[in-house]
Amino acid sequence: MSAVATELLVHYSLRRRTLVPGIHAYSRRAPPLYLNCTRRPLSAGPSLSSFELKAPKALTLRASASTDTAAVVESDVVFSETFSLKRPVKVEGKITIRLVNGKDEENWQLIVGCSLPGKWVLHWGVKYIGDVGSEWDQPPPEMRPPGSIAIKVDYAIESPLEKSSTLEGESFYEVKIDFNTNNSITAINFVLKDEDSGSWYQHRGRDFKVPLTEYRHDDGNVVGAKKGFGIWPGAFGQLSNMLLKSEGAENKMDFTSCESKAPPQQNSRLEGFYEEHPIVRETLVDNSVTVSVTQCPETAKNLLYIETDLPGDVIVHWGVCKDKGRKWELPEQPYPSETKVFKNKALRTLLQRKEGGTCSSGSFTLDVGLTAFVFALKLNENTWLNNMGKDFYIPLSSSRVLNKEHSQSHSANKTKESSTAYTDGIINEIRNLVSDIASEKSRKTKIKEAQESILQEIEKLAAEAYSIFRSAIPTFTEEEVSEAEVLKPSVKIASGTGSGFEVVCQGFNWESHKSGRWYMELHQKAAELSSLGFTVVWLPPPTESVSPEGYMPKDLYNLNSRYGSIDELKSLVKRFHEVGIMVLGDAVLNHRCAHYKNQNGIWNIFGGRLNWDDRAVVADDPHFQGRGNKSSGDNFHAAPNIDHSQEFVRKDLKEWLCWLRQEIGYDGWRLDFVRGFWGGYVKDYIDASEPYFAVGEYWDSLNYTYGEMDHNQDAHRQRIVDWINATNGCAGAFDVTTKGILHSALERYEYWRLSDEKGKPPGVVGWWPSRAVTFIENHDTGSTQGHWRFPGGKEMQGYAYILTHPGTPTVFYDHIFSDYQSELSKLISVRTRNKIHCRSIVKVMKAERDVYAAIIDEKVAMKIGPGYYEPQTGPQKWSLATEGKDYKVWEAS
Amino acid sequence: MEVSVIGSSQVNNLGRVDLRYREVGLCSFSKNLNFAKISSPKYSGLFVGQSSISWSSKYLFPLIVKASATAQTEAAVTSEKASGTRRSEVDNNLMLYVGLPLDAVSSTNTINHARAIAAGLKALKLLGVDGVELPIWWGIAEKEARGQYNWAGYLSVAEMVQKMGLKLHVSLCFHACKESRVPLPEWVSQIGESQPDIYFTDRSGQRYKDCLSLSVDDLPIFDGKTPIQVYKEFCENFKTSFSSFMGSTITGISIGLGPDGELRYPSYHKPAKSQGAGEFQCYDKNMLSHLKQHAEASGNPLWGLSGPHDAPSSKELATSSGFLKEHGGSWESQYGDFFLSWYAGQLISHGDRLLSLASSTFSDVPIAVSGKVPLMHSWYQTRSHPAELMAGIYNTVNRDGYEGIIEVFSRNSCKAILPGIDLADEDQPKETRSSPESLLEQIIFSCRKYGIEISGQNARISGSPSGFQQIKKSLTGENAVDLFTYQRMGASFFSPEHFPSFTAFVRDLRQPQLHSDDLAVEKVDSAESLPEKNVQMQAA
Repeated sequence: MSAVATELLVHYSLRRRTLVPGIHAYSRRAPPLYLNCTRRPLSAGPSLSSFELKAPKALTLRASASTDTAAVVESDVVFSETFSLKRPVKVEGKITIRLVNGKDEENWQLIVGCSLPGKWVLHWGVKYIGDVGSEWDQPPPEMRPPGSIAIKVDYAIESPLEKSSTLEGESFYEVKIDFNTNNSITAINFVLKDEDSGSWYQHRGRDFKVPLTEYRHDDGNVVGAKKGFGIWPGAFGQLSNMLLKSEGAENKMDFTSCESKAPPQQNSRLEGFYEEHPIVRETLVDNSVTVSVTQCPETAKNLLYIETDLPGDVIVHWGVCKDKGRKWELPEQPYPSETKVFKNKALRTLLQRKEGGTCSSGSFTLDVGLTAFVFALKLNENTWLNNMGKDFYIPLSSSRVLNKEHSQSHSANKTKESSTAYTDGIINEIRNLVSDIASEKSRKTKIKEAQESILQEIEKLAAEAYSIFRSAIPTFTEEEVSEAEVLKPSVKIASGTGSGFEVVCQGFNWESHKSGRWYMELHQKAAELSSLGFTVVWLPPPTESVSPEGYMPKDLYNLNSRYGSIDELKSLVKRFHEVGIMVLGDAVLNHRCAHYKNQNGIWNIFGGRLNWDDRAVVADDPHFQGRGNKSSGDNFHAAPNIDHSQEFVRKDLKEWLCWLRQEIGYDGWRLDFVRGFWGGYVKDYIDASEPYFAVGEYWDSLNYTYGEMDHNQDAHRQRIVDWINATNGCAGAFDVTTKGILHSALERYEYWRLSDEKGKPPGVVGWWPSRAVTFIENHDTGSTQGHWRFPGGKEMQGYAYILTHPGTPTVFYDHIFSDYQSELSKLISVRTRNKIHCRSIVKVMKAERDVYAAIIDEKVAMKIGPGYYEPQTGPQKWSLATEGKDYKVWEAS
Repeated sequence: MEVSVIGSSQVNNLGRVDLRYREVGLCSFSKNLNFAKISSPKYSGLFVGQSSISWSSKYLFPLIVKASATAQTEAAVTSEKASGTRRSEVDNNLMLYVGLPLDAVSSTNTINHARAIAAGLKALKLLGVDGVELPIWWGIAEKEARGQYNWAGYLSVAEMVQKMGLKLHVSLCFHACKESRVPLPEWVSQIGESQPDIYFTDRSGQRYKDCLSLSVDDLPIFDGKTPIQVYKEFCENFKTSFSSFMGSTITGISIGLGPDGELRYPSYHKPAKSQGAGEFQCYDKNMLSHLKQHAEASGNPLWGLSGPHDAPSSKELATSSGFLKEHGGSWESQYGDFFLSWYAGQLISHGDRLLSLASSTFSDVPIAVSGKVPLMHSWYQTRSHPAELMAGIYNTVNRDGYEGIIEVFSRNSCKAILPGIDLADEDQPKETRSSPESLLEQIIFSCRKYGIEISGQNARISGSPSGFQQIKKSLTGENAVDLFTYQRMGASFFSPEHFPSFTAFVRDLRQPQLHSDDLAVEKVDSAESLPEKNVQMQAA
C-alpha cells in the first residue's frame, strides 16, 4: 500500500465522521469540569453522583500527513514521511468567583475571574423572582458590563473577561457585574466560554449558579427547606472541596451540615464570599513523527526508523500487516529491545531518547513479505496519538527491484515518488507473475488477486484525485450556467427531496396498531402497493410509545411497538425495497415521554440509551419544568418538548436517525409536528442522516374571517414555506393549505378558490411545488379520529386534483384499500405514464363556481366539479384517460 | 473496518472518567462499529458522503495483462493504407489518452493540484490508458515578454508523466481560454489595446479577443516580428526545452490553429442560446483591405467593400436571411461563391502557414504533428450549411469544403484531430438541424482519401453510458481512429457518477483482447513510434 492509500483512508474516516458527529467532537472538546459547589439540593438525578475530578483524557489525536515535508531522501530509502502530531497539553488554572459589597448594602458586585490566558467570555443570565420555567433571563441593562452582547437564542448575555494583573504580576482575566439587590433578581447563572476553542466550562455539567436571595424550594426531602441559604459562607471553598471528595450518597448529609453551620440569615441579606475552582484546559501542541523505511540490499529486509520530537517516554504500539488487509499481526521474533507483547495483539516498544537531544527514536527490522507496518504512539496511559483517527500505516514494498532513479528527484514530488515506486512494484509483480508461466492455469488465481489489488488501487487513486479536484471546482465554471442547469442542482444537492417523481402511500391509519401485527399485514400488501404505482411508503412511528399509535415516543432505540417487532419492521422494509418502494420512517422529534420524575415529581428525566436529564426539555412549558432553553417553536403540551438547541440533544438525535437509516434501512423521514421546533434544526438532522426524501408535518389553522375561509391563504402557505425555507429546502412539507382549500371548493361549490390571484394553484404547491407534499387525508384528519375530514364522497375529486398536479402526492391507506382503488390506480398510472412530477407546470383553464380545470405540462388535462369542461384540440389531441364522479382526466396523444 | 487495539484502549480510558461520559464514549465506540456497516456496498449509494468516494467494484474490470505473444504483434500490424478499410472492430492499435486539466499549470508556472494529478496519472496508468494530453498555453509559457519562456511548470508535468510511464501529447495553444482563465500573453493584449484590428471582428464591430486574427499572420505587429515568426520561435524553444522528452514521452504535438485551437473563424463563440449560426468574421481592417484587393483583382471591385450585407446576425435564425437561406440564398450566387471562396481560402492559407511551420520545426524529432479540425455540426442538414460557412469552411450541398483543408494537412504530413466524436445526432436539438455524425463521416472520408491519420476527442465529459456508446461507435467500424483523447481530467472526470462509466468504457474498448485469455504481451516498445506498430501493454 502506498502513502496515497493511507491518506485516502483518512478521507474515509473524515467523511464517516460527518455522519455521526459524536465521535470526533468528543475527542477534541475540552472536557467539562466536574466540580461541586452548587447550592441546589443534591438529590437530583443519578448522574450527579460521581465526583471524580478527572476530566476525560483519552484523547485521540489526529495527525495530518504532510508529505511535502519529507526528510532527506537517501539512496535506498523506500519510504519516508513526516506526520505532524497534535499533542494535548493540560494547563491548570482556576476560576474565581467573588461576591463583594459595593458602596452600600444594596449595591453588590460579582467578580468572575480566570487565571488561564485566553479569550474568555462569561455567558450569563439572571433569574427573576417569579420565574418558574426559565432559569435564564436577560439582566437589566445597567447590570451588563461594557462590551456585553445579548444572545437572542437563549436569553443570555455574553460579557468578555478583561485582562488584569494580580499582585504577583501574573495576568488574570475577570469581569465585574454590578447589581442592586432591589431589582428582584434571585440568582445569577453563568458558564465560562473559551472563545478560542469554543469550549464551555460548566460546573458539574450544569451552570454555575450564584443565588442572591433566599432560595425557596419545595422539595420536602431536604432538611431545612424554606430556610434561607442563599448566602455563601466564607468557608465555602473548603466545603466545596469536601463535597468534591465525598461520595454521592453522602452529599445530602454534607450539605445539611453545611447549612446548619451557616449562620442564620435574614432574607435578602447578602454576604460576600470568595471561592476558587480548578480549571483544566487542554491545548494542542504541534509535534511530529518521521518514519522512514530503508531496504537493506543484502538481507532484503526492511529497516524502519521512527523518530519523534515528542517529549517524555514514547511507546510505539505496533504490529505488522501480512497481506493487503489491515489486520494487525505480530512479526517474527526477535523484537527490538524495550519491547513488550501487549495482549498478544501488538508490540510495545519504548523509543530511546537521543543523547542530549529532545528526540526519541527507534528502529525496527522487518522481514520481507510484510505489506505494512502499523502503529500508534502512546504517551501515557491515557494519551494516544494516531494518524487522523487511524493507525499510522506504513507500506512496505515487497518488490525486490527498486528503481534507484526515484531517489534523485526533488522533495516536491515526494508523494508521487513513493507511489510510483509502489506502482512499479505492482507492475513488477504482475510481470513476474505473468512471465513465469503464463499458460499455467493455476496462475490465474494469482493474477486475479493482483488485478483485484490494482482495482482497489485505481479506486482509491480516483477517489483521492476527485476529492482534491472537487475542492477546487469553484475557481472556474461559474460563468456558464444556463437555466436548465440552474434547476438541476436543486434536485441533486438538497438531500431529502427525492427524484421529483414520487407517489407516496401513507401506509397506516389510526387503528393500525390494534392487531399488533401491522408490519406483517403490510408485508402482504407490498407488491400490490408497488403495482399500483407507489414509489414511497410512509410507515407509522416505530418506537416504543406511551400511546399505542406511536406518537408519544419514550425509548427511541426500542423499536418494538404495537405495530410489530424490530425484526418484523426490518423484514417489512426489506420487502418494500424488493418491490422498489422507498420507506419513510415517522420520526417524532418534537417531544419525548420521560422515564423518571425529577425531584419535584415532574416527569422530565429520560431513560434508555438516550438518558437525558431535564436540560433536554424546553424551559417554557411549565408542565415539564425543563431546564433547557426556550422552545424554538410551538409547544405540544402532552409530553416534554425536546430542546433542540442543546447540542447533545441534536447529536443524539442525529445519531439516532443515522442508526435508523442503517439498522432499519429507512430511506427518509416523515417528521412529526415540526411546528414545535425551528426548521434549521431539521436541516441539521437531514444533513446528518441524508435521507432520500423527507417531509415535515407543519399543520396549523387556515385563515378565516367571520367563520368563512379566506380566499387568500397566502399567509397560511407562507408559514409552511417559511418552515421549508428554514430547513434550507432540504425537506418538503405537507400541503395543508391545498387540503383546506379543496375542502371549501368541493364542499360548497367554490371551485374558483382553486386559482390564486396569479392564476396558480392556491396552496403551497403553487409557490414551491417541489417541496409541497399534497394529501387529502391522513391518520389525524380522517381515519377514526376525523379531526378535519375531507368532504365525504368527494375524495376522488381531491385525488384527481393532487395526482395530476405538481407536488408530491400522498394517498391515504384507507382510500387505497377501498372502492376507490381502481380509480386511484388509473389516476396514478396517468401521472406516471405522462411523467408528471413535482415541478410540472400547471395552466389553470377554468376556475368557476362549479368547475375547475387545468392542463399540466401540456400533456394531461383535468377537470373537477360538476360543471362542463372539455380540453380544446390545439397542437395536442386529447383523449379521455379516466373519469369518475365529477372529475375527468385527459391525456394528449 | 477493523477494530484496532487503539479503539479498545480508548474505551478503557473512557471508562475511567465520569459515568455519564463513559456511556457517551461507549456510544460513540459502538458507532464506530456501525460505520463498518455503512461502508458496505449496500449503503454506498445511500450516503452521499460515502458514495462519493467508494465505487462498487463491479464497475471496475479485470485488468488485462498480455503475455508476450509475438504473433499478436504481427497480426496487429496493418499497413497505413489498409487501415482505413480493414478494421471491423476497435483494434488493438487504438491509443487511448486522457486530457490533463486545462489549468494543470497555473499562471505562476506551478502545478495546480499536483497531488490529484499524480494520483490521477497513476490511476490512468493502472487502468491501461496510454497517455495524457497537456495543453501548453501561450499566455503562461511566454507570459512575461516576447521571447521569455518559462516552461518550468510544464516540464514538471512532463516529468510526472514520464515517471508514470505514460505518453504525452502536447497541445500548443495560441489562444486564450475563458474556461480556465488563461489569457493571451499580456504583451500581446497590450498591443491589442492600441491596435484592436489584430483581433477577429464581426460586422457589428465586436472583437474576438481570445486569439489573433489570421489576417495579421504575416504582419510585423510585434516590434517588427510577425505572429507566425513568434509562433515559430515558441515552437523552437519548446522543442529545445523538452528535447529530453521528445519521441520518448512526448509522442505528438498539436498546434493551435485558431479559436479553441481549431482551424476556423471564431464565428460562433457564445453559448448556443439562439438559433443563429454565428457571424462572418471578416471585418477587421486587414481582412477588409485584403478582401478589397481580392475583389479588385477579380474584376468586381464592388464586391470587396464589405462582407455579405444580408448575412444573418448571430441572434437571427441562421437560414432566415437572404444570404444563407436554403433556397435562393445569395450563397449560391456568383457573389456568394466569390466571397465564400475567399473567406475559406484565407482560413486554409492560415492553416497551411501554421501546419508547415509546425511540421518543419518538428521535422527533426520523432513526434507526430496534428491540428484540430472543427466540427461545426449545427445546420449541417440544410443546403447552405450556415454554421460551417461562417466558420470559414466552404462546405455546402454543392461543394466539399473539407477536401481543401485536409489536403493542407496531408501536404504538411499532419494528423487531424476531430473533436466531438461523442456527439450523437439524436441528442442534438432538432431546430438547429444538426448532424455531428454525418459531418464526422464526411471529414473522415476526406482524411481517408488523403491518407491522414485521425485522432478523436470527445466534446464534453460524458454523463451517461450512452455517450460512451457513441464514442465507441465512432471508434469502431470504418471510421476507426488511431488515437482517442478523452477530455478531460478533473473533478467530474473522477466523480463517482462518471469514473465508473469511464472505466467500464475502457474495459469495453479493450474487450477484444480479453478473448486471448490471459495471454500477456510484454510491451514491445519498438523504436519506431508509428502507432500501428505499437502493441498495447496495459499493465506495464
